[in-house]
Amino acid sequence: MTDDPVRRKHRELEKIAMTALRLARILTECGARVKVVHEGASLVVRGLGVEPVGIRTGYASQEITVRSGDNTITRMMSMGAHGVNHRLDHVMRALAVQVSQGGMSVETVEREMDRLVKETPRHPLWLVALAVGMACAAFGRLLGIDWLAFGPVFVGGGLGQAARMLLLRRGVNSYVVATVIAFLASALAGFGAHLLGSGTVNLAMMASILLLVPGVPITNAQTDIMDGYPSMGSARAVSVLMVMIFATTGVVIAEWLLGMR
Amino acid sequence: MFHPDFAQLAHQIVFGAIAAAGFGVLFNFGLRSLMWCAAAGALALGVRTLGQEAQWSLEAASFVAAVSASCASTMLRRPLGPRGNAVALAGCIPMVPGAFFGQALLGMLAVTTPHPENAALILTSTEYFLRVFFTLAAIGAGLAIPAHLFRNPDF
Repeated sequence: MTDDPVRRKHRELEKIAMTALRLARILTECGARVKVVHEGASLVVRGLGVEPVGIRTGYASQEITVRSGDNTITRMMSMGAHGVNHRLDHVMRALAVQVSQGGMSVETVEREMDRLVKETPRHPLWLVALAVGMACAAFGRLLGIDWLAFGPVFVGGGLGQAARMLLLRRGVNSYVVATVIAFLASALAGFGAHLLGSGTVNLAMMASILLLVPGVPITNAQTDIMDGYPSMGSARAVSVLMVMIFATTGVVIAEWLLGMR
Repeated sequence: MFHPDFAQLAHQIVFGAIAAAGFGVLFNFGLRSLMWCAAAGALALGVRTLGQEAQWSLEAASFVAAVSASCASTMLRRPLGPRGNAVALAGCIPMVPGAFFGQALLGMLAVTTPHPENAALILTSTEYFLRVFFTLAAIGAGLAIPAHLFRNPDF
């Protein structure tokens, strides 16, 4: 059976399809636009010596059909959590370009993807928490918080980000995380700003949850629709709306707790 | 005669840069790219502030600011490479009206209480929703139009 040329070709096609889908999945999970994801997968497929017939990217899964002569194969892969990881996105794109130049086997590409996923650096939790706290406080200044609220927003945003990363690592649902973090960050910022006598307590509470505003998916949603992928664009827009609804719920609970409602 | 408030302009530029770089860390940009994110944030907030001081609407000022960030990233194609669009996007993140979005949702919740305080609440919440929608559309279009017109050949 293994010497049947048609079956062997299908197995090779399957490996190529799954490798291209894996790269596409990683790019999507890193926050890439659908057009970029499709270009990356096509570069890999062509570099490995076959032709892409079609690629479909949904919010929860992706499919690809590849062809070699008369043989075609369609495979699907489910997606993980959507996030933003610029450095991994960057090295994956470079890998796709490298594969497109030919001379790499499926096994080599898979090994390279394993290595890149494992070795591409991420900022440590403490640095991300500090940076996000500072970003929320700066965002707050842009919105008009007074200097008395600056510190509480920094603390609320920073601790909120640290707790968010820990909860996501434990596999808690991302919408539930949005409510919990919005409550924690806005309660800390609001209580701190109130204690310090700030005149912009409400604004401080909103500024502290700006870490939850999915800025990249919002713009990707529009770009995907412009690029001709309205289903993915709509899915991203709905997920943004859901995050904001859950985050607002957290702020409302914090306002009740602080007697502001 | 247009007389910009330079103190306000400097304030917005500095905090726009800090916010963009902070979110750049969250998005896992490398150290060198973070400096570009900060520069893009400073440019975007600077342009938006100047626009608002010239009595433009928030939406129009945000659109021109996003166009500026996108064009700048295109012009700096050599040092930025394929990450130009991502840097421009990170620079525009501080302009995303997240606080308006939250306030619009909070306002809508207040409207649905058994005895809403007044009809003006409905108007305010609707206004916030529309401002969020149009500002987001302005940022997205401002980033996308130059990127489509001056396509970056790098992948």
